[in-house]
Amino acid sequence: MEIIFGRLDNNNARFTLTETRTAFANAFRRAMISEVPTLAIDQVRIYDNTSVLFDEMLAHRLGLIPLRTDLTTYVPAGECSCGGAGCTHCTATYTLSVEGPRMVFSRDLIPQDPTTAPCHDEIPIIKLSENQKVVLEARATVNTGKEHAKWQPTIACGYKNYPEITFSENCDGCGMCVEECPRGILTVKEGKAQVVAEKQEECLLCRLCEEACMAGGIGSEPSIRIKGDETRKIFVVEGDESLPVQEIIERALMHLRQKSEDLHTIVSQLSGVT
Amino acid sequence: MIPVRCFTCGKVISTAWDEFKHRRESGEDPAKILDDLGLRRYCCRRMLLTHKEIVDDLNPYQ
Repeated sequence: MEIIFGRLDNNNARFTLTETRTAFANAFRRAMISEVPTLAIDQVRIYDNTSVLFDEMLAHRLGLIPLRTDLTTYVPAGECSCGGAGCTHCTATYTLSVEGPRMVFSRDLIPQDPTTAPCHDEIPIIKLSENQKVVLEARATVNTGKEHAKWQPTIACGYKNYPEITFSENCDGCGMCVEECPRGILTVKEGKAQVVAEKQEECLLCRLCEEACMAGGIGSEPSIRIKGDETRKIFVVEGDESLPVQEIIERALMHLRQKSEDLHTIVSQLSGVT
Repeated sequence: MIPVRCFTCGKVISTAWDEFKHRRESGEDPAKILDDLGLRRYCCRRMLLTHKEIVDDLNPYQ
């Protein structure tokens, strides 16, 4: 198995996983979404809220703000030495105190530990008018997407089979498939349809081109064939900025390894093999 | 208030609202503004396109 990166920056990754299977690719995808922990606001103590939003709505909006997470300093509450009571290793605290008239932004959320500041400064939380006020204290904990979607470190995270596009001898270069392709990856050159250079990976596997080809009246068999290679997967991972995408990928893989090692240990114990 | 994140994919879209609103009011094509703001997926695009701000309408009834 090999990972070939097409793109990797802080928030986006696109890579091809070779010699794999759908089962592994899907386990990997699910691990990235729901097993990699991040910080998110979990408890809010509201001292004053005279805004138009209910306390619950306000707390919900706060919970959705992505927070910068350093997993070397913060651990999930269940694994913390304080036993989940809430200490500086598993909980980040914030204060917010704003009087209207003005918009309350995520930058008004003052973190006790500056490394856990919100990833975006400009997220509008609530618009306050004259004589309205919001004063609150918030606690963020480390948890996983399994518990609630606000702890997911990824946004769009998915894979597809590697597209394989073949043309048969029958192609007469009518251009019907070129017109139909929503991604514009096909072209006609020298009387034959072909894939535009380096655009093969953009194929959606929608097979509209196959249908268009049949409509062209060449026969019952389309001359263009789209197949997805199940042993090669193209992954797209987009992070919400709370963690770098590279760390999400590494931690998801570490989680999978840990899980399979645990399973191995249990099965060995049960069967009496050491 | 504009939702903090896209309902479907979870991308933070509320940061784009202010610019989107101003540019749309000045008569620009919404499709172009959304492209400029980097909202590629149609789930994120509909969040801004279909939003109606009612905070100011509610304020007098507090």
